[in-house]
Amino acid sequence: MTRPTKASLSRGPRVRRWAPPFAGAAALVALFTFPDWSASMEGSRYASTILRDMLVFAVYALSLDVLIGRAGMPSLGHAAFFGGGAYAAAIAAERLGTDELAVTLGAAVVVAAALALVIGALTVRAAGIFFLMLTLAFAQMAFAIAFQWTDLTGGSNGFAGVRRPVLLGLDLSPPDSIYRLVVVVFGIVALVVWWIARSEYGRALVGVRENERRMRALGYDTTRLKLSAFVLAGSLAGVAGALSAWSFRFVSPNDVGLGTSVTGFVMVLIGGAGTLLGPILGAGLVLYIERVLSSAIPYSQTVLGIVFIVFVLAARQGLVGVAVQVWTRVRR
Amino acid sequence: MSPELVLQQALNGISFGALLFILAAGLSLIFGMMDVVNLAHGAFYMLGAYVALQVVQATGQFWAAVVIAPVVLGLVGLVIEPLLLRRLRGRHLEQVLLTIGVALVITDLIGLVWGREARTLPFPPGFDRSIDIAGSAYPTYRLFVIAFAVVLAVVLYYLHRRTAIGALIRAGVDDAEMLAALGVDTDRLFAVTFAVGAALAGLAGVIAAPAFGVRPGMDVDALIFSLIVVVVGGLGTLGGASVGAALVGPAETFGKVLVPQFALALIFAIMAVILLARPSGLLGRIRISR
Repeated sequence: MTRPTKASLSRGPRVRRWAPPFAGAAALVALFTFPDWSASMEGSRYASTILRDMLVFAVYALSLDVLIGRAGMPSLGHAAFFGGGAYAAAIAAERLGTDELAVTLGAAVVVAAALALVIGALTVRAAGIFFLMLTLAFAQMAFAIAFQWTDLTGGSNGFAGVRRPVLLGLDLSPPDSIYRLVVVVFGIVALVVWWIARSEYGRALVGVRENERRMRALGYDTTRLKLSAFVLAGSLAGVAGALSAWSFRFVSPNDVGLGTSVTGFVMVLIGGAGTLLGPILGAGLVLYIERVLSSAIPYSQTVLGIVFIVFVLAARQGLVGVAVQVWTRVRR
Repeated sequence: MSPELVLQQALNGISFGALLFILAAGLSLIFGMMDVVNLAHGAFYMLGAYVALQVVQATGQFWAAVVIAPVVLGLVGLVIEPLLLRRLRGRHLEQVLLTIGVALVITDLIGLVWGREARTLPFPPGFDRSIDIAGSAYPTYRLFVIAFAVVLAVVLYYLHRRTAIGALIRAGVDDAEMLAALGVDTDRLFAVTFAVGAALAGLAGVIAAPAFGVRPGMDVDALIFSLIVVVVGGLGTLGGASVGAALVGPAETFGKVLVPQFALALIFAIMAVILLARPSGLLGRIRISR
């Protein structure tokens, strides 16, 4: 993968160093205020709903990319933590009798992390294809529980009428409020993932991806590193799940199912694994195909499958990789 | 549980295991040869069932479907391997990802062509009744499934052990690179292997259709169960597929009766225990987890 290394970036002019964070902050402000400045435009409400869903799945894809892009762990069971978080947020609000954000979001993170700890302990020792296969199979266990434990989850009917959260007495249930909550949480998660990528911990994960044996020889406990990454990624996916539960006010076993795991994988790979922007763009593109394009053509899933195949065959670095290649060619 | 119920459930378990064997044999064959876990295996299975539905609607002949569906799936495999997988030869993870894309396309196209409602396929004539076994009625079709899988296992075992193509496949599983160095056209061998694996998935789809129905989502169930079977039994060998199927089939049926809410969780618990105790599966040679 040809990416500008950190060293080459930091030696560049000051403008180049500060441009990405500044653009990111500007984009977040624009997103946060979207319902205001688009209010007069036609279809503003619909657009902000689509944007909200894109951002929910961007959080999900960012969390998965910690595994796929950084640590080189191709998990095909990430929906277990997304769905686990979604159910936890929904059930906590109903059973604990409080809609306080800290409680319901906390429940989502704790449940997702606990699930990730169990599944991770059984799977992180496997590598490559085996890891993919095992995460897929064990995540399906979470699906089975969600599907069959009807008293708790509503079974195949799903969990309808999820209560939206309250932040210190401020009701977040109006559409604009929930949209803004999603934008803020998305910003925080993106910042966390960006920070992980730059930290010593993140470099160690990349080391595990590139050469696990050498990392072990250097004295790193690679199994623990991988398990910690798995739990961290699972917790962030739990956050995405909670956002999804509040956005749709509905949780179904599909949120835990293979389809959701595959969707996350497709988002990360189409966008560009191991980059901050990639999973976000990938989530946007996939949601566009699934939500907007699907109302125009009946075979949107086929389009998605073909797009994915083309990216795996011809552009393994995803949209971001293609953009970087085009950019370097243009500048030359 | 009464003795009659135990017997009935045991037969159900064995016939489900028999079906799982047909399904997992194809997955295991492809993996053994190409080091690719074919995640489109469930979609191939589903396509087999829908092709059978079409054939039975057109001709009224279930037995024609048993022949035609595997042939169709074999052709699909013969197209997909050279067209897609061969381009990424040696990059196993990318090949696995490709099969995800293939599965997305196939399941969506099935929905477009045949609709997204659950369908049924009638039992074939001669196997549409029940017979009396130890005082309770038991559907003959399920007995047929067991017999069919046993015969298939014997045939596969014979092909694998006693024929030239079987020798090539065994050699390819051991060391495909060396085989190529010896002058064997491995491109063709890989294409044929992938086609045979796909045909077996299609065959499982036909055989399953009358007993388990034809519906969206059947692909995921089939994929998960065949993965569990190969993880439990061991990847890449026929013996592994048969042992895994013999264990998982009855475990699933008895789990459903004894702990209905956690039947599937029980299967995964078995899988977890086996992975911890024997990381290569019961009969496998490839270590799945360290």
